[in-house]
Amino acid sequence: MSENKILCNAGTVDFSFQDISTEVDKLKNIEDSRLSLTPDNADSGLAKLVLTLVELIRKLIEKQAMRRVDGGSLSDDEIERLGETLMKLEMKMEELKKYFNLTDRDLNINLGPLGDLM
Amino acid sequence: MEKIIYAILSGKINHGKLTTLLSGIKGIEGADLVAVSFDQISAVVSNIEKADLVANQINAFAFAHVIEILEEDYPLLPMRFGSIMKSAGSIQEMLEKNYPEFRNNLQKVENKSEFGLKIVCDTEKLKTELKSKSDAVNEPSQKSVAESRDSVFREYVNQKLKAHRLEEMLMGYIDSIIAEFTGFLIELDAVKKIKKMTTATTIIDAVFLLEKDKKAELILAIEAMQSKHTGLNFILTGPWPPYSFVDITLKQ
Repeated sequence: MSENKILCNAGTVDFSFQDISTEVDKLKNIEDSRLSLTPDNADSGLAKLVLTLVELIRKLIEKQAMRRVDGGSLSDDEIERLGETLMKLEMKMEELKKYFNLTDRDLNINLGPLGDLM
Repeated sequence: MEKIIYAILSGKINHGKLTTLLSGIKGIEGADLVAVSFDQISAVVSNIEKADLVANQINAFAFAHVIEILEEDYPLLPMRFGSIMKSAGSIQEMLEKNYPEFRNNLQKVENKSEFGLKIVCDTEKLKTELKSKSDAVNEPSQKSVAESRDSVFREYVNQKLKAHRLEEMLMGYIDSIIAEFTGFLIELDAVKKIKKMTTATTIIDAVFLLEKDKKAELILAIEAMQSKHTGLNFILTGPWPPYSFVDITLKQ
């Protein structure tokens, strides 16, 4: 670059290098996070897409549930049942991820300028 | 051989001056730059083999370097890396079809530059600090939850609730920082775009578009915030071409 673009940085991080590397990595990650369906990987490709949506919905449900618990609008029994449901959902997701050999990172699709899905 | 577009320039362009400027800069893979014009706007382009264009650091630097040099002399709209068209004729046609949109966007960015602000910190440490300042995080969801017999499900909810409250506190804290710098951005008449928690350590990732001569005021304001919030690292960069403030859907 023709001049120093860092106008203020109290930290010790070599920000320019870190930032550029991050951006280049992002370009590579966008490629990695694309759904690549071929006759050989139709199962896992589709599983990745479906599980990503399921995980997103699960997290949204969990967030909403915690808001309600925090708001004090649920009874004791309802909280008990909610805990059981959320726990089972989380365990089932872990099972499915293991079955399809997927990690949390695989389920976090990069939406380009919008950032990561989760 | 296709053409890669670096930027769209505005104004009553002195073509002699532009040609001289372009002759002193090299594009991706050392290619010569030329201007393709329509009325009062020009696209700066170079030849490229589409199949050979790789998104790597060298090419990204070469692309950004061209835009950066042009920005010193011309109001411009930077193009996305990899904007390729098949010929100068098709570029001219695209300029003509999108002329009003280009002009509008060029007017919006005239005499302005983009500045980036990333606020980074150790979020786990920050959460611990926030947690120590508030007992609310550790309170169970309802009295009865804590008092009732042991249940893994209730314990699970309480753990999730703690995490949720911490997250909410972190978001509240981030919003308070945003409100703080939004105040002086209004005074500087800046346009802003802000994202929260873009990575585990970047709690705020913001870009501002403001008049070039207000750079010093912006730096002072950010430095003042940095002195106040010692646990955060404010990284202000710029001036950049207005990468984040171009709003055009091209008609082909």
